[in-house]
Amino acid sequence: MTKDGFGMMRRISNVNGWTIGSVLIIILLFVPNLSIVTGIFTPPSENWAHIQEFMLLGYIKSSLTLVFFTAIFTIVIGLSLAWLIAQYDFPLRNFMKWALILPLSIPPFIGAYTYHGILNYTGIIQKTLRNQFDITPNPAFFDIMNVPGAIFIYTLFLFPYVYMITRIFLSNQAASLIESARTLGKSSVDIFFKVVLPISRVSIIGGVSLVILEVLNDYGVVKYFGIQTFSTAIFQTWFGLGDLDSSIKLAASLMGIVIFLLVIEWVLRGGKKYSFASTKVRPLPLVKLTGKKAVIATSYTLFIFTVAFLIPVLQLLDWFVLTFGKVPMEEVLTYTKNSIIVAGTAATLIILFSLVIGNFSRITKHKFGNVLPKLTILGYSIPGAVIAVAVVTTFIAIDRFLAPLYLSMGLDSALILSVSLVMLVSAYIIRFFAIGYNSIESGYAKIGTDFRDASRMLGVSGFRTFFKVDIPMMKGAIISGFILTFVDILKEIPLTLILRPFNYDTLATKAFQYASDEKIMEASQASLLIVGVSAIAIFVFHKLLREEPE
Amino acid sequence: MFIDIQNMCFNYTNSSAKAVEGFTFSVQKGEVISILGRSGSGKSTILRLIAGLEMPKCGSFTLAGKKIFDDYTFVQPEKRGIGMVFQDYALFPHMCVADNILFGLPKMSRHEKMKRLKEVLELVELEGFEKRYPHQLSGGQQQRVALARAIAPQPELILLDEPFSNLDTDLLVKIREDLRRILKKANATAIFVTHNQNDAHALADRIIKIKDGRIDQVGRPCDLLGIPTNDEVELELLPEESQKELVSV
Repeated sequence: MTKDGFGMMRRISNVNGWTIGSVLIIILLFVPNLSIVTGIFTPPSENWAHIQEFMLLGYIKSSLTLVFFTAIFTIVIGLSLAWLIAQYDFPLRNFMKWALILPLSIPPFIGAYTYHGILNYTGIIQKTLRNQFDITPNPAFFDIMNVPGAIFIYTLFLFPYVYMITRIFLSNQAASLIESARTLGKSSVDIFFKVVLPISRVSIIGGVSLVILEVLNDYGVVKYFGIQTFSTAIFQTWFGLGDLDSSIKLAASLMGIVIFLLVIEWVLRGGKKYSFASTKVRPLPLVKLTGKKAVIATSYTLFIFTVAFLIPVLQLLDWFVLTFGKVPMEEVLTYTKNSIIVAGTAATLIILFSLVIGNFSRITKHKFGNVLPKLTILGYSIPGAVIAVAVVTTFIAIDRFLAPLYLSMGLDSALILSVSLVMLVSAYIIRFFAIGYNSIESGYAKIGTDFRDASRMLGVSGFRTFFKVDIPMMKGAIISGFILTFVDILKEIPLTLILRPFNYDTLATKAFQYASDEKIMEASQASLLIVGVSAIAIFVFHKLLREEPE
Repeated sequence: MFIDIQNMCFNYTNSSAKAVEGFTFSVQKGEVISILGRSGSGKSTILRLIAGLEMPKCGSFTLAGKKIFDDYTFVQPEKRGIGMVFQDYALFPHMCVADNILFGLPKMSRHEKMKRLKEVLELVELEGFEKRYPHQLSGGQQQRVALARAIAPQPELILLDEPFSNLDTDLLVKIREDLRRILKKANATAIFVTHNQNDAHALADRIIKIKDGRIDQVGRPCDLLGIPTNDEVELELLPEESQKELVSV
């Protein structure tokens, strides 16, 4: 055997459990999405010709309108709040700093039906105007079940993405630039437009990309408001027309838009992931606002917080009190338990898989160790409806493949996996893997490889080192990753609606179902549980685990 | 020879340039060797190759008669019987001093483990520090714990990566003396890398000078320091404080 041959053998013998485990997980996460790509090439049905001729342009138009205006408004609100909190000191600032993240705990579909309930004919506003002031306004004025209404809802509940990322950047990274501008005698307005806006570009784009992905992923709001977008069209074609092939083609078109937007994002960022010129975290000294300016700053932040969090939560609480006891406790307990089981299982598996892939990526010297994990986090960019189509197609194929086995086991159904919770949990893992993985990856980056090397130099195997050294040192990252993933799954709607087994309800599907059946008040119980758990998680995560120095 | 390295070579995957080339060297049992070189010369890479933390592209390495690597073999770091003290010590922050030291001990009775712990703590003069956590120790104490941890399993060879780079200058002389005393008392065979000639002079029985991944000179400190190369002149002209700032590979 040649010397190179032996070298290769030596390298192969160095391929360990981490490599095999990671490759298997990556295949499991990535392959279902390939069914979308292959679906493009299947011969088109009659429905597809109809969709292409009469509907497709409409879907593209409405989806892009929602994306465009939501992006603009979330930038305006998110950036202005980030600038105020990062640069100025005013009454309630410390509370507002993290409270302005709380609207993220309200899933847009819950916000949508809550605001619809507040603003409709029997809602508190029109009722008060009629009963207390004897004013009967034109109901059309309060109608939010349209495209501008959806933009309003998305803006209210998604702006924290832009706020959060930009505030952290401005608070910690921009100090010297803003201080230089101050010493050069620039006014606050000048500093905002000439310094803050250009230097925050990367963080704003980072935040707004998340907003855009959420809008394209959303099914709850557009379905409730009756707006035709890609998400609703995929569902309708699939279930209404029973045409899975055409919904795969729609899913592929939506993927095309997502990829196009991601490329634009990459180009706008100039290919850079971070814009930090310095790794040193130096907080920006706050400018104290007094008098009228302080009143304006407090009023503005308080107004946004009230509209985006306080009002919907108070309305939900009011409905909860009014309907208390109407929804049987047994039912509430069942869907709460279901939610905890599926979200807990998926989040646990995501963290376990992330630990394996993250460790592989950290220890491998090969380039593909860095590239492969990136494939798995693409799932977060893929809208839920697309993943649902991909997962169902894959699971039906697996069931067909396993049919002889089912038969030999005496099972009378040809569909076992594709009607089980396994399919739903798998879809969650594909969709939310990036959330858990990012947390674990940053945990690994923080501890580096020296401790692992030190442990191995003490004669301890890589596997034992993982449990004795890596895991204890990664506790924080594991807990944050789990919390974030769990909460996101708890709020998820499109995947759960499509992929849940028959009669299997979670908090989110139950809330959505009640709202869709015009039982808005009854939906409050499940909604409050989701908002409560999410708000606590967001508080714990941002206030306690991730508090930035100030 | 206790340690025999023949023609070891290596290059990083993202670079075609050889980081280490034709490294051939032998060490006798109980010898303390210093690998001396400038930043980027390949000295830390050599240490990582000996430790097994990087995989060489060619060459062979025998330790106490046992084949560690060649074209057919590659013994994983945990099976080599080599201890290492890292540049930043890499003490496990979630373990106290005692747990850090006990971590690497092979399977033995609790009584034997405690006995060994006491021995190494005595050796590094840190009795009474068992329950302290790494963040509660000074830089010098952390270094001694790292050394105690590496020595405890009684490895055939101890590697030290820039052992003094994190220490204050005023502590340096004492700790250098302590380290030599500890290594000699433990009859340890040791290889340490440094960019500082004074460290090499104070600690080593022999010095290997590295330049561009190749051996430039080998000799006893008294011999080598008498015939400075051009690089050495540059190094010596730097005050100790500045030499410390040069970072290892």
